[in-house]
Amino acid sequence: MKRQQFVTRLVSFAVFIILEAASLCLITNNSSLQRIWVSKAGHSFMGTVWGASQGIRNYFSLSETNKQLSQENYELRRELDKANVQLRQMNADSAVVSSRPGFEMIPAEVVKISRNKQHNYLILNKGYADGIKENSGVVARGGVIGIVDAISEHHCFAFSFQNSDVSISARIGSEGSSGLLIWDGIHNAGAILKELPLQSKYSPGDTVYTSGHSLLFPPDIPLGIAGKAKVVNGATNQVSVSLFQDFSAIRYVTVVHNDAFDEIEEFME
Amino acid sequence: MRKNAFWIVYVMLLLGQLLISNYFTFTPYITLSILPVMVLCISTSVSTPATMIIAFLTGLAVDWLSEGVLGLNAIALVPVAYIRKPVIQFIFGNSLSARKEDFTVQSNGQLSVMVAILAVQAVFLAIYIWVDGAGMRPFWFNVARFFASLAAGLLVSVFTLTPLASDNRR
Repeated sequence: MKRQQFVTRLVSFAVFIILEAASLCLITNNSSLQRIWVSKAGHSFMGTVWGASQGIRNYFSLSETNKQLSQENYELRRELDKANVQLRQMNADSAVVSSRPGFEMIPAEVVKISRNKQHNYLILNKGYADGIKENSGVVARGGVIGIVDAISEHHCFAFSFQNSDVSISARIGSEGSSGLLIWDGIHNAGAILKELPLQSKYSPGDTVYTSGHSLLFPPDIPLGIAGKAKVVNGATNQVSVSLFQDFSAIRYVTVVHNDAFDEIEEFME
Repeated sequence: MRKNAFWIVYVMLLLGQLLISNYFTFTPYITLSILPVMVLCISTSVSTPATMIIAFLTGLAVDWLSEGVLGLNAIALVPVAYIRKPVIQFIFGNSLSARKEDFTVQSNGQLSVMVAILAVQAVFLAIYIWVDGAGMRPFWFNVARFFASLAAGLLVSVFTLTPLASDNRR
């Protein structure tokens, strides 16, 4: 009995749908207004259905997408790590590498450094097998680091700028007077620019650069900021300099060698 | 014989509806139709699928013979036939269908019959006005048309009750 009722209801519903569909077909075939309306409604319905089904499909494919993203993330992290290492090395060199014509540049890594003596030194991981030559300078992003003194096959020994025997030629301001820059022997970032002419003009806060008068270093490498000045023996000025370079954080450096060094030395002899 | 009389009345009322559809067109706010009450009064001994087919053909005849959109009356009248038995059962109770009898004004009261007409008229008009408007007419117009047509349809339907739903039908 119940089954018969169910079948009757099913048949009724089927007839209802068929007749309604037939009526709708008749309407759309005989009236353009209703045809447009039904067409719009159909498009809207299909859009909703497709949108919903696409949303559901996207939701269930999230797991796979997450896996792919995770893998991609891992690959990108690896690439980033590699790039960071390269960037650190390049940054250490960048201050001088790209704009120093006439100088050969070789990147190197500091393997040992002394900082608590009056005659400090550093050892780099590049030697003559890597193209390091004597009479080369050592620079980093923050300025001058030292001067190469001895070379082995894969390493070289350099006097640190924090060595009382080392002095370099420096200029105050972009077009100011030149003098000798030496470590003050006390502070990590302290230096003294001495033997400046009395008539030279400068102000505290001016930047101190390499002068380029030395054959070891290219000109215009920023070294530090000029501070207080005093007259020495009534003949020259002496200016305190606060260095840019933090010697406690040196890792990557660049060994610079003047291509014309030998020629100029020969000429001078 | 009485059954045949019902169907003769049914066809005559159908002709009457054709006259209404063709000549009662003085305001767009009123859609006058006696088709829902005609379908409602078809004997419950006729099955729902058969009633729906009758309703479909009736609607189609009116659409075809009047200046309407073909299928418009049919699409609104088929649902009336589909809900006819549940409406009768809900308003007149299960006992009527248990006795396999049809409702009449005399035995079931004018009020109950009016409520049943109101229900089927409302369903018919809601679908008819919605499809006829095709989303082009403002909502307030459709609402006004619905209530005006409902009131007018209810009034006209009352006059069809005597031949359709009187004791003579039994």
